[in-house]
Amino acid sequence: MRRRHIPWAMLRGIVVLLYLFILVPIIITVSVSFNSVNQSKFPPIGFSLRWWGDALAARWLQPLAFSIELGLLAAVVSMLLGMPLAFALVRYRFPGREALTTLALGPLALPALVTGIGLLQFIQAAGFGFLFGFPTLLIGHVLICLPFSVRTTAISLRAMPANLELAALSLGATPSAVLREITLPLVKSGVFAGGVFAFIHSFTDYSISLFLARPGTQPITITILSFLEYGFAPTLAAVAALTLVVPLVLIAVVQRVFRIGDFLYAENARG
Amino acid sequence: MTQNARALRPLLLVAVPATFLFVFFVLPNGFLLVAGFLKSDAQMLTDEWTLENYDFLLGKPLYRAALLRTFVVGALVGVLVVVLAYPMAFFLARTTSKWKGPLIALALTPLLASVVVRTYGWWVLLNREGALNDLLRALGLTTGPLVMLPSVGAIVIGLTHSLLPFGVLTILSALNGINPNLERAALSLGASRTRTFLNVTLPMSASGVAGGFLLAFALAISAYATPTILGGPATETMATLIYKFMVSLMDWSIGSALGTLLILSSMALIAIGTMLGARRGTV
Repeated sequence: MRRRHIPWAMLRGIVVLLYLFILVPIIITVSVSFNSVNQSKFPPIGFSLRWWGDALAARWLQPLAFSIELGLLAAVVSMLLGMPLAFALVRYRFPGREALTTLALGPLALPALVTGIGLLQFIQAAGFGFLFGFPTLLIGHVLICLPFSVRTTAISLRAMPANLELAALSLGATPSAVLREITLPLVKSGVFAGGVFAFIHSFTDYSISLFLARPGTQPITITILSFLEYGFAPTLAAVAALTLVVPLVLIAVVQRVFRIGDFLYAENARG
Repeated sequence: MTQNARALRPLLLVAVPATFLFVFFVLPNGFLLVAGFLKSDAQMLTDEWTLENYDFLLGKPLYRAALLRTFVVGALVGVLVVVLAYPMAFFLARTTSKWKGPLIALALTPLLASVVVRTYGWWVLLNREGALNDLLRALGLTTGPLVMLPSVGAIVIGLTHSLLPFGVLTILSALNGINPNLERAALSLGASRTRTFLNVTLPMSASGVAGGFLLAFALAISAYATPTILGGPATETMATLIYKFMVSLMDWSIGSALGTLLILSSMALIAIGTMLGARRGTV
Protein backbone atom coordinates (compact mmCIF):
# COMPACT_ATOMS: atom_id res chain seq x y z
CA MET A 1 0.00 0.00 0.00
CA ARG A 2 1.22 3.51 -0.75
CA ARG A 3 1.78 5.51 2.39
CA ARG A 4 3.82 8.43 1.14
CA HIS A 5 1.12 11.00 1.52
CA ILE A 6 0.49 13.95 3.77
CA PRO A 7 -1.57 12.49 6.67
CA TRP A 8 0.99 9.71 7.15
CA ALA A 9 3.86 12.25 7.23
CA MET A 10 1.91 14.27 9.83
CA LEU A 11 1.32 11.16 11.90
CA ARG A 12 5.05 10.45 11.83
CA GLY A 13 5.73 13.97 13.10
CA ILE A 14 3.27 13.51 15.97
CA VAL A 15 4.78 10.13 16.83
CA VAL A 16 8.28 11.65 17.00
CA LEU A 17 6.96 14.25 19.49
CA LEU A 18 5.32 11.49 21.52
CA TYR A 19 8.60 9.55 21.69
CA LEU A 20 10.26 12.73 22.97
CA PHE A 21 7.51 13.08 25.59
CA ILE A 22 8.10 9.47 26.68
CA LEU A 23 11.89 9.58 26.79
CA VAL A 24 12.82 13.14 27.82
CA PRO A 25 11.96 12.88 31.56
CA ILE A 26 14.06 9.71 31.82
CA ILE A 27 16.97 11.34 29.96
CA ILE A 28 16.68 14.37 32.27
CA THR A 29 16.87 12.24 35.42
CA VAL A 30 19.99 10.51 34.13
CA SER A 31 21.75 13.71 32.99
CA VAL A 32 20.95 15.57 36.25
CA SER A 33 23.17 13.05 38.06
CA PHE A 34 26.24 14.45 36.24
CA ASN A 35 25.86 17.98 37.68
CA SER A 36 29.01 19.47 39.19
CA VAL A 37 26.89 21.49 41.64
CA ASN A 38 24.69 20.08 44.39
CA GLN A 39 21.53 21.09 42.53
CA SER A 40 19.26 19.10 40.27
CA LYS A 41 19.84 21.33 37.26
CA PHE A 42 18.98 20.55 33.68
CA PRO A 43 20.93 20.98 31.47
CA PRO A 44 23.59 19.98 34.04
CA ILE A 45 26.04 22.67 35.20
CA GLY A 46 29.53 21.36 34.46
CA PHE A 47 30.27 17.67 34.67
CA SER A 48 31.26 15.48 37.58
CA LEU A 49 30.97 11.91 38.73
CA ARG A 50 30.90 12.73 42.44
CA TRP A 51 27.16 12.00 42.84
CA TRP A 52 27.75 8.64 41.22
CA GLY A 53 30.48 8.07 43.78
CA ASP A 54 27.97 8.90 46.52
CA ALA A 55 25.37 6.65 44.93
CA LEU A 56 27.72 3.67 45.14
CA ALA A 57 27.76 3.87 48.95
CA ALA A 58 26.41 1.04 51.09
CA ARG A 59 23.27 2.91 52.11
CA TRP A 60 22.11 2.84 48.48
CA LEU A 61 23.68 -0.43 47.35
CA GLN A 62 22.15 -2.36 50.22
CA PRO A 63 18.49 -1.58 49.25
CA LEU A 64 19.44 -2.07 45.59
CA ALA A 65 20.80 -5.54 46.33
CA PHE A 66 17.72 -6.18 48.46
CA SER A 67 15.42 -5.28 45.53
CA ILE A 68 17.30 -7.62 43.20
CA GLU A 69 17.14 -10.46 45.72
CA LEU A 70 13.43 -9.85 46.39
CA GLY A 71 12.65 -9.64 42.67
CA LEU A 72 14.51 -12.87 41.84
CA LEU A 73 12.83 -14.82 44.62
CA ALA A 74 9.40 -13.37 43.85
CA ALA A 75 9.84 -14.26 40.17
CA VAL A 76 10.88 -17.85 40.94
CA VAL A 77 8.12 -18.45 43.52
CA SER A 78 5.46 -16.86 41.31
CA MET A 79 6.54 -19.11 38.41
CA LEU A 80 6.35 -22.19 40.63
CA LEU A 81 2.82 -21.22 41.68
CA GLY A 82 1.75 -19.82 38.32
CA MET A 83 2.77 -22.71 36.05
CA PRO A 84 0.49 -25.40 37.51
CA LEU A 85 -2.28 -22.81 37.79
CA ALA A 86 -1.98 -21.80 34.12
CA PHE A 87 -1.76 -25.47 33.09
CA ALA A 88 -5.01 -26.29 34.90
CA LEU A 89 -6.79 -23.20 33.55
CA VAL A 90 -5.79 -23.88 29.93
CA ARG A 91 -6.00 -27.69 29.73
CA TYR A 92 -8.94 -28.56 31.99
CA ARG A 93 -12.55 -27.60 32.42
CA PHE A 94 -13.57 -27.76 36.06
CA PRO A 95 -16.08 -26.06 38.38
CA GLY A 96 -14.83 -22.69 39.61
CA ARG A 97 -12.48 -22.25 36.66
CA GLU A 98 -13.89 -18.83 35.74
CA ALA A 99 -13.66 -17.58 39.33
CA LEU A 100 -10.10 -18.85 39.63
CA THR A 101 -9.13 -17.06 36.38
CA THR A 102 -10.43 -13.77 37.79
CA LEU A 103 -8.68 -14.45 41.08
CA ALA A 104 -5.35 -15.19 39.38
CA LEU A 105 -5.43 -11.79 37.65
CA GLY A 106 -6.90 -10.09 40.72
CA PRO A 107 -3.66 -8.70 42.17
CA LEU A 108 -3.20 -6.76 38.93
CA ALA A 109 -6.80 -5.53 38.81
CA LEU A 110 -7.08 -4.25 42.37
CA PRO A 111 -4.78 -1.47 43.64
CA ALA A 112 -1.57 -3.05 44.99
CA LEU A 113 -1.30 -0.25 47.54
CA VAL A 114 -4.54 -1.40 49.15
CA THR A 115 -3.53 -5.07 48.95
CA GLY A 116 -0.44 -4.01 50.92
CA ILE A 117 -2.57 -2.47 53.67
CA GLY A 118 -4.79 -5.54 53.75
CA LEU A 119 -1.76 -7.84 54.10
CA LEU A 120 -0.29 -5.64 56.84
CA GLN A 121 -3.48 -5.67 58.91
CA PHE A 122 -4.32 -9.29 58.22
CA ILE A 123 -0.89 -10.59 59.23
CA GLN A 124 -0.97 -8.41 62.34
CA ALA A 125 -4.48 -9.56 63.30
CA ALA A 126 -3.66 -13.22 62.62
CA GLY A 127 -0.80 -12.95 65.11
CA PHE A 128 1.85 -13.68 62.49
CA GLY A 129 3.79 -10.51 63.34
CA PHE A 130 7.05 -12.47 63.12
CA LEU A 131 6.50 -12.57 59.34
CA PHE A 132 6.94 -8.80 59.01
CA GLY A 133 9.96 -7.75 57.01
CA PHE A 134 11.29 -9.97 54.26
CA PRO A 135 8.65 -12.78 54.37
CA THR A 136 5.71 -10.36 54.13
CA LEU A 137 7.38 -8.37 51.34
CA LEU A 138 8.04 -11.62 49.47
CA ILE A 139 4.38 -12.66 49.83
CA GLY A 140 3.27 -9.27 48.51
CA HIS A 141 5.67 -9.36 45.57
CA VAL A 142 4.73 -12.95 44.65
CA LEU A 143 1.09 -11.77 44.59
CA ILE A 144 1.74 -8.91 42.16
CA CYS A 145 4.01 -11.13 39.98
CA LEU A 146 1.56 -14.03 39.78
CA PRO A 147 -0.67 -12.54 37.02
CA PHE A 148 2.41 -12.20 34.78
CA SER A 149 3.58 -15.78 35.26
CA VAL A 150 0.09 -17.22 34.82
CA ARG A 151 -0.52 -15.18 31.67
CA THR A 152 2.75 -15.85 29.86
CA THR A 153 2.60 -19.58 30.68
CA ALA A 154 -1.00 -19.71 29.46
CA ILE A 155 -0.01 -17.97 26.22
CA SER A 156 2.73 -20.51 25.47
CA LEU A 157 0.49 -23.44 26.40
CA ARG A 158 -2.15 -22.18 23.97
CA ALA A 159 0.45 -21.52 21.28
CA MET A 160 1.73 -25.11 21.26
CA PRO A 161 -0.17 -27.61 19.13
CA ALA A 162 -2.21 -29.64 21.64
CA ASN A 163 -2.15 -32.79 19.55
CA LEU A 164 1.61 -33.12 20.14
CA GLU A 165 0.74 -34.25 23.65
CA LEU A 166 -2.01 -36.57 22.36
CA ALA A 167 0.38 -38.02 19.81
CA ALA A 168 2.96 -38.78 22.49
CA LEU A 169 0.30 -40.34 24.72
CA SER A 170 -1.04 -42.50 21.90
CA LEU A 171 2.49 -43.69 21.18
CA GLY A 172 2.61 -45.03 24.71
CA ALA A 173 4.34 -42.28 26.68
CA THR A 174 3.23 -41.91 30.29
CA PRO A 175 1.58 -38.57 31.25
CA SER A 176 4.61 -37.57 33.30
CA ALA A 177 6.93 -38.38 30.40
CA VAL A 178 4.75 -36.22 28.11
CA LEU A 179 5.03 -33.36 30.60
CA ARG A 180 8.80 -33.78 30.88
CA GLU A 181 9.63 -34.46 27.23
CA ILE A 182 7.01 -32.45 25.32
CA THR A 183 5.12 -29.83 27.32
CA LEU A 184 7.84 -28.35 29.52
CA PRO A 185 10.46 -27.96 26.75
CA LEU A 186 7.86 -26.26 24.53
CA VAL A 187 6.67 -23.76 27.13
CA LYS A 188 10.17 -23.15 28.47
CA SER A 189 10.70 -19.79 26.79
CA GLY A 190 7.23 -18.57 27.78
CA VAL A 191 7.90 -19.50 31.36
CA PHE A 192 11.25 -17.73 31.20
CA ALA A 193 9.69 -14.59 29.68
CA GLY A 194 7.06 -14.61 32.43
CA GLY A 195 9.84 -14.78 34.99
CA VAL A 196 11.62 -11.80 33.40
CA PHE A 197 8.41 -9.72 33.37
CA ALA A 198 7.71 -10.72 36.96
CA PHE A 199 11.20 -9.68 38.07
CA ILE A 200 10.96 -6.29 36.34
CA HIS A 201 7.49 -5.70 37.76
CA SER A 202 8.69 -6.51 41.25
CA PHE A 203 11.90 -4.49 40.85
CA THR A 204 10.15 -1.31 39.68
CA ASP A 205 7.15 -1.57 42.02
CA TYR A 206 6.71 0.67 45.03
CA SER A 207 3.00 0.35 45.79
CA ILE A 208 2.87 -3.12 47.36
CA SER A 209 6.03 -2.35 49.39
CA LEU A 210 4.87 1.04 50.65
CA PHE A 211 3.23 -0.31 53.80
CA LEU A 212 5.20 -3.56 54.09
CA ALA A 213 8.80 -2.29 54.03
CA ARG A 214 10.70 -2.02 57.31
CA PRO A 215 14.03 -0.36 58.03
CA GLY A 216 16.67 -2.83 56.89
CA THR A 217 14.25 -4.62 54.58
CA GLN A 218 13.55 -1.82 52.16
CA PRO A 219 13.38 -2.07 48.36
CA ILE A 220 15.31 0.67 46.53
CA THR A 221 12.15 2.40 45.22
CA ILE A 222 10.94 2.94 48.80
CA THR A 223 14.37 4.23 49.87
CA ILE A 224 14.41 6.78 47.03
CA LEU A 225 10.82 7.79 47.78
CA SER A 226 11.56 8.40 51.45
CA PHE A 227 14.69 10.45 50.66
CA LEU A 228 12.78 12.59 48.13
CA GLU A 229 10.98 14.17 51.10
CA TYR A 230 14.24 15.88 52.01
CA GLY A 231 14.82 17.32 48.56
CA PHE A 232 15.94 16.40 45.09
CA ALA A 233 19.70 16.04 45.40
CA PRO A 234 21.70 14.89 42.34
CA THR A 235 22.77 11.84 44.36
CA LEU A 236 19.17 10.64 44.19
CA ALA A 237 19.21 11.14 40.42
CA ALA A 238 22.34 8.97 40.23
CA VAL A 239 20.68 6.30 42.39
CA ALA A 240 17.54 6.49 40.22
CA ALA A 241 19.67 6.09 37.08
CA LEU A 242 21.42 3.15 38.72
CA THR A 243 18.06 1.39 39.17
CA LEU A 244 17.51 1.75 35.40
CA VAL A 245 20.68 -0.22 34.71
CA VAL A 246 19.38 -3.45 36.27
CA PRO A 247 16.35 -4.08 34.02
CA LEU A 248 18.18 -2.75 30.94
CA VAL A 249 21.08 -5.18 31.42
CA LEU A 250 18.60 -7.98 32.09
CA ILE A 251 16.68 -7.27 28.87
CA ALA A 252 19.93 -6.99 26.88
CA VAL A 253 21.10 -10.38 28.16
CA VAL A 254 17.72 -12.03 27.68
CA GLN A 255 17.34 -10.64 24.14
CA ARG A 256 20.30 -12.80 23.14
CA VAL A 257 18.45 -15.92 24.25
CA PHE A 258 15.05 -15.15 22.75
CA ARG A 259 13.08 -12.19 21.49
CA ILE A 260 11.14 -10.88 24.44
CA GLY A 261 9.23 -8.62 22.07
CA ASP A 262 7.53 -11.73 20.66
CA PHE A 263 5.93 -12.28 24.04
CA LEU A 264 4.91 -8.69 24.64
CA TYR A 265 3.49 -8.77 21.18
CA ALA A 266 1.77 -12.12 21.54
CA GLU A 267 0.39 -10.96 24.84
CA ASN A 268 -1.15 -7.80 23.51
CA ALA A 269 -2.20 -9.33 20.21
CA ARG A 270 -4.41 -11.73 22.13
CA GLY A 271 -6.06 -8.89 24.00
CA MET B 1 -6.54 -43.71 34.60
CA THR B 2 -9.95 -43.89 36.25
CA GLN B 3 -12.53 -41.18 35.69
CA ASN B 4 -12.16 -39.97 39.28
CA ALA B 5 -8.42 -39.52 39.08
CA ARG B 6 -8.84 -37.51 35.88
CA ALA B 7 -11.33 -35.17 37.58
CA LEU B 8 -8.94 -34.73 40.51
CA ARG B 9 -5.98 -33.71 38.35
CA PRO B 10 -6.88 -29.98 37.94
CA LEU B 11 -7.74 -29.78 41.64
CA LEU B 12 -4.29 -31.08 42.55
CA LEU B 13 -2.68 -28.58 40.19
CA VAL B 14 -4.50 -25.55 41.53
CA ALA B 15 -4.55 -26.54 45.21
CA VAL B 16 -1.39 -24.72 46.30
CA PRO B 17 -1.67 -21.55 44.15
CA ALA B 18 -5.39 -21.19 44.93
CA THR B 19 -4.74 -21.54 48.65
CA PHE B 20 -1.97 -18.95 48.42
CA LEU B 21 -4.28 -16.50 46.62
CA PHE B 22 -7.09 -17.16 49.08
CA VAL B 23 -4.99 -16.71 52.21
CA PHE B 24 -2.84 -13.77 51.09
CA PHE B 25 -5.14 -11.95 48.68
CA VAL B 26 -8.81 -12.71 49.38
CA LEU B 27 -8.62 -12.81 53.17
CA PRO B 28 -6.50 -9.62 53.56
CA ASN B 29 -8.78 -7.67 51.21
CA GLY B 30 -11.79 -9.06 53.08
CA PHE B 31 -10.20 -8.06 56.37
CA LEU B 32 -9.71 -4.55 55.01
CA LEU B 33 -13.42 -4.30 54.11
CA VAL B 34 -14.29 -5.26 57.69
CA ALA B 35 -11.68 -2.94 59.26
CA GLY B 36 -13.31 0.02 57.51
CA PHE B 37 -16.41 -0.61 59.64
CA LEU B 38 -14.52 -0.96 62.94
CA LYS B 39 -13.91 1.72 65.52
CA SER B 40 -10.32 2.72 66.18
CA ASP B 41 -9.23 3.42 69.70
CA ALA B 42 -5.77 4.62 70.76
CA GLN B 43 -4.45 3.70 67.31
CA MET B 44 -5.69 0.11 67.61
CA LEU B 45 -8.62 -1.56 65.87
CA THR B 46 -11.39 -2.48 68.31
CA ASP B 47 -14.22 -4.95 67.67
CA GLU B 48 -16.91 -2.31 67.80
CA TRP B 49 -18.89 -1.77 64.57
CA THR B 50 -19.37 1.77 63.29
CA LEU B 51 -20.14 3.85 60.22
CA GLU B 52 -18.13 6.76 61.63
CA ASN B 53 -15.14 6.22 59.33
CA TYR B 54 -17.19 6.68 56.17
CA ASP B 55 -19.17 9.46 57.78
CA PHE B 56 -15.89 11.22 58.59
CA LEU B 57 -14.46 10.82 55.07
CA LEU B 58 -17.60 11.73 53.16
CA GLY B 59 -18.73 14.44 55.60
CA LYS B 60 -15.69 16.69 55.79
CA PRO B 61 -15.33 19.07 52.81
CA LEU B 62 -11.53 18.63 52.90
CA TYR B 63 -11.74 14.87 52.33
CA ARG B 64 -14.67 15.08 49.96
CA ALA B 65 -12.58 17.46 47.86
CA ALA B 66 -9.67 14.99 47.88
CA LEU B 67 -11.95 12.15 46.73
CA LEU B 68 -13.40 14.30 43.98
CA ARG B 69 -9.92 15.48 42.97
CA THR B 70 -8.77 11.85 42.70
CA PHE B 71 -11.54 11.01 40.25
CA VAL B 72 -11.09 14.19 38.21
CA VAL B 73 -7.36 13.42 37.93
CA GLY B 74 -8.15 9.79 37.02
CA ALA B 75 -10.62 10.79 34.29
CA LEU B 76 -8.29 13.46 32.84
CA VAL B 77 -5.36 11.04 32.82
CA GLY B 78 -7.55 8.39 31.17
CA VAL B 79 -8.57 10.79 28.39
CA LEU B 80 -5.02 12.10 27.84
CA VAL B 81 -3.52 8.61 27.80
CA VAL B 82 -5.98 7.46 25.14
CA VAL B 83 -5.62 10.61 23.03
CA LEU B 84 -1.80 10.38 23.05
CA ALA B 85 -1.62 6.59 22.81
CA TYR B 86 -3.92 6.30 19.79
CA PRO B 87 -1.69 7.96 17.17
CA MET B 88 1.28 6.07 18.54
CA ALA B 89 -0.49 2.70 18.47
CA PHE B 90 -1.92 3.43 15.02
CA PHE B 91 1.55 4.25 13.70
CA LEU B 92 3.07 1.15 15.29
CA ALA B 93 0.29 -1.08 13.96
CA ARG B 94 0.51 0.19 10.37
CA THR B 95 4.15 1.08 9.83
CA THR B 96 6.03 -1.05 7.34
CA SER B 97 9.38 0.14 8.72
CA LYS B 98 11.98 -2.52 9.43
CA TRP B 99 12.38 -0.78 12.81
CA LYS B 100 8.84 -1.72 13.85
CA GLY B 101 10.00 -4.16 16.54
CA PRO B 102 12.56 -1.81 18.14
CA LEU B 103 10.06 1.08 17.92
CA ILE B 104 7.46 -0.93 19.85
CA ALA B 105 10.14 -1.83 22.40
CA LEU B 106 11.17 1.83 22.68
CA ALA B 107 7.57 2.89 23.32
CA LEU B 108 7.47 0.43 26.21
CA THR B 109 10.90 1.21 27.75
CA PRO B 110 9.36 3.48 30.41
CA LEU B 111 7.93 0.29 31.93
CA LEU B 112 11.52 -0.69 32.81
CA ALA B 113 11.96 2.44 34.90
CA SER B 114 10.29 2.78 38.25
CA VAL B 115 7.61 5.47 38.45
CA VAL B 116 9.87 7.18 40.97
CA VAL B 117 12.61 7.55 38.31
CA ARG B 118 10.20 8.85 35.69
CA THR B 119 8.52 11.37 37.96
CA TYR B 120 11.86 12.75 39.16
CA GLY B 121 12.49 14.05 35.62
CA TRP B 122 9.22 15.97 35.68
CA TRP B 123 10.16 17.56 38.99
CA VAL B 124 13.50 18.73 37.53
CA LEU B 125 11.63 20.18 34.55
CA LEU B 126 8.78 21.89 36.41
CA ASN B 127 10.06 23.19 39.77
CA ARG B 128 10.61 26.89 40.55
CA GLU B 129 14.29 26.77 39.64
CA GLY B 130 13.64 24.11 37.03
CA ALA B 131 14.57 23.71 33.38
CA LEU B 132 11.29 25.08 32.01
CA ASN B 133 11.48 28.27 34.10
CA ASP B 134 15.13 28.72 33.09
CA LEU B 135 14.14 28.34 29.46
CA LEU B 136 11.23 30.78 29.71
CA ARG B 137 13.44 33.35 31.42
CA ALA B 138 16.23 32.91 28.87
CA LEU B 139 13.71 33.51 26.10
CA GLY B 140 12.49 36.60 27.92
CA LEU B 141 8.93 35.27 28.08
CA THR B 142 8.59 35.58 31.86
CA THR B 143 10.13 37.83 34.45
CA GLY B 144 9.47 35.89 37.66
CA PRO B 145 9.38 32.10 37.96
CA LEU B 146 6.08 30.39 37.12
CA VAL B 147 4.84 28.22 39.98
CA MET B 148 4.04 24.91 38.30
CA LEU B 149 4.67 22.73 41.36
CA PRO B 150 2.91 21.52 43.38
CA SER B 151 -0.21 21.37 41.24
CA VAL B 152 -2.93 19.08 40.00
CA GLY B 153 -1.80 19.83 36.44
CA ALA B 154 1.69 18.52 37.17
CA ILE B 155 0.20 15.36 38.71
CA VAL B 156 -1.94 14.82 35.60
CA ILE B 157 1.09 15.25 33.30
CA GLY B 158 3.27 12.95 35.40
CA LEU B 159 0.61 10.22 35.55
CA THR B 160 -0.19 10.50 31.84
CA HIS B 161 3.50 10.01 31.16
CA SER B 162 3.85 6.95 33.34
CA LEU B 163 0.64 5.26 32.15
CA LEU B 164 1.01 5.97 28.41
CA PRO B 165 2.65 2.57 27.62
CA PHE B 166 -0.44 0.77 28.97
CA GLY B 167 -2.64 2.79 26.63
CA VAL B 168 -0.36 2.02 23.68
CA LEU B 169 -0.45 -1.72 24.46
CA THR B 170 -4.25 -1.93 24.77
CA ILE B 171 -4.99 0.11 21.65
CA LEU B 172 -2.27 -1.66 19.63
CA SER B 173 -3.83 -4.98 20.50
CA ALA B 174 -7.26 -3.74 19.35
CA LEU B 175 -5.82 -2.41 16.07
CA ASN B 176 -3.97 -5.68 15.45
CA GLY B 177 -7.26 -7.51 15.86
CA ILE B 178 -8.90 -5.68 12.92
CA ASN B 179 -9.14 -7.68 9.72
CA PRO B 180 -7.15 -5.59 7.17
CA ASN B 181 -9.52 -6.72 4.41
CA LEU B 182 -12.28 -4.59 5.92
CA GLU B 183 -10.23 -1.44 5.39
CA ARG B 184 -9.22 -2.57 1.90
CA ALA B 185 -12.89 -3.22 1.08
CA ALA B 186 -13.90 0.27 2.22
CA LEU B 187 -11.09 1.84 0.17
CA SER B 188 -11.89 -0.18 -2.94
CA LEU B 189 -15.56 0.81 -2.66
CA GLY B 190 -14.47 4.42 -2.99
CA ALA B 191 -14.25 5.64 0.61
CA SER B 192 -11.46 8.13 1.25
CA ARG B 193 -8.70 7.26 3.73
CA THR B 194 -10.20 9.65 6.28
CA ARG B 195 -13.67 8.14 5.80
CA THR B 196 -12.24 4.62 6.10
CA PHE B 197 -10.48 5.57 9.30
CA LEU B 198 -13.54 7.25 10.84
CA ASN B 199 -16.11 4.64 9.73
CA VAL B 200 -14.12 1.42 9.91
CA THR B 201 -10.87 1.61 11.86
CA LEU B 202 -11.91 3.89 14.72
CA PRO B 203 -15.18 2.10 15.61
CA MET B 204 -13.47 -1.29 15.38
CA SER B 205 -10.73 -0.20 17.78
CA ALA B 206 -13.20 1.36 20.24
CA SER B 207 -12.84 -1.59 22.61
CA GLY B 208 -9.12 -0.82 22.91
CA VAL B 209 -9.81 2.86 23.52
CA ALA B 210 -12.33 2.06 26.25
CA GLY B 211 -9.97 -0.52 27.77
CA GLY B 212 -7.00 1.89 27.72
CA PHE B 213 -9.08 4.68 29.27
CA LEU B 214 -10.38 2.50 32.11
CA LEU B 215 -6.97 0.92 32.80
CA ALA B 216 -5.27 4.33 33.00
CA PHE B 217 -8.17 5.66 35.13
CA ALA B 218 -7.92 2.74 37.57
CA LEU B 219 -4.13 2.95 37.87
CA ALA B 220 -4.20 6.75 38.22
CA ILE B 221 -6.63 6.86 41.16
CA SER B 222 -4.45 4.49 43.21
CA ALA B 223 -1.11 6.13 42.34
CA TYR B 224 0.90 7.32 45.32
CA ALA B 225 4.40 8.31 44.10
CA THR B 226 3.37 10.87 41.46
CA PRO B 227 0.98 12.90 43.67
CA THR B 228 3.61 12.81 46.42
CA ILE B 229 6.46 14.06 44.23
CA LEU B 230 4.56 16.54 42.06
CA GLY B 231 1.80 17.52 44.48
CA GLY B 232 1.56 19.02 47.93
CA PRO B 233 -0.76 19.45 50.91
CA ALA B 234 -3.31 21.25 48.72
CA THR B 235 -3.43 18.45 46.15
CA GLU B 236 -4.06 15.39 48.37
CA THR B 237 -5.48 12.37 46.55
CA MET B 238 -6.93 9.14 47.94
CA ALA B 239 -3.55 7.36 47.91
CA THR B 240 -1.66 10.16 49.68
CA LEU B 241 -4.49 10.41 52.23
CA ILE B 242 -4.29 6.66 52.85
CA TYR B 243 -0.58 7.02 53.57
CA LYS B 244 -1.24 9.94 55.89
CA PHE B 245 -3.86 8.08 57.90
CA MET B 246 -2.03 4.75 57.96
CA VAL B 247 1.51 5.93 58.67
CA SER B 248 1.47 9.46 60.10
CA LEU B 249 -1.79 9.31 62.06
CA MET B 250 -1.78 5.53 62.65
CA ASP B 251 -5.54 5.48 62.11
CA TRP B 252 -6.03 2.10 60.48
CA SER B 253 -9.82 2.21 60.35
CA ILE B 254 -9.95 5.41 58.29
CA GLY B 255 -7.09 4.06 56.14
CA SER B 256 -9.08 0.87 55.57
CA ALA B 257 -12.25 2.79 54.73
CA LEU B 258 -10.30 4.79 52.14
CA GLY B 259 -8.75 1.58 50.81
CA THR B 260 -12.23 0.09 50.50
CA LEU B 261 -13.37 3.12 48.51
CA LEU B 262 -10.40 2.60 46.16
CA ILE B 263 -11.15 -1.11 45.72
CA LEU B 264 -14.82 -0.40 45.02
CA SER B 265 -13.86 2.28 42.48
CA SER B 266 -11.49 -0.10 40.68
CA MET B 267 -14.17 -2.81 40.63
CA ALA B 268 -16.74 -0.34 39.33
CA LEU B 269 -14.35 0.65 36.52
CA ILE B 270 -13.77 -3.02 35.64
CA ALA B 271 -17.54 -3.63 35.64
CA ILE B 272 -18.14 -0.63 33.37
CA GLY B 273 -15.39 -1.93 31.08
CA THR B 274 -16.97 -5.38 30.90
CA MET B 275 -20.36 -3.84 30.08
CA LEU B 276 -18.83 -1.71 27.34
CA GLY B 277 -17.02 -4.77 25.96
CA ALA B 278 -13.63 -3.18 26.66
CA ARG B 279 -10.53 -5.28 26.18
CA ARG B 280 -9.31 -6.64 29.43
CA GLY B 281 -6.82 -9.14 30.65
CA THR B 282 -7.73 -12.78 30.20
CA VAL B 283 -5.57 -15.74 30.98
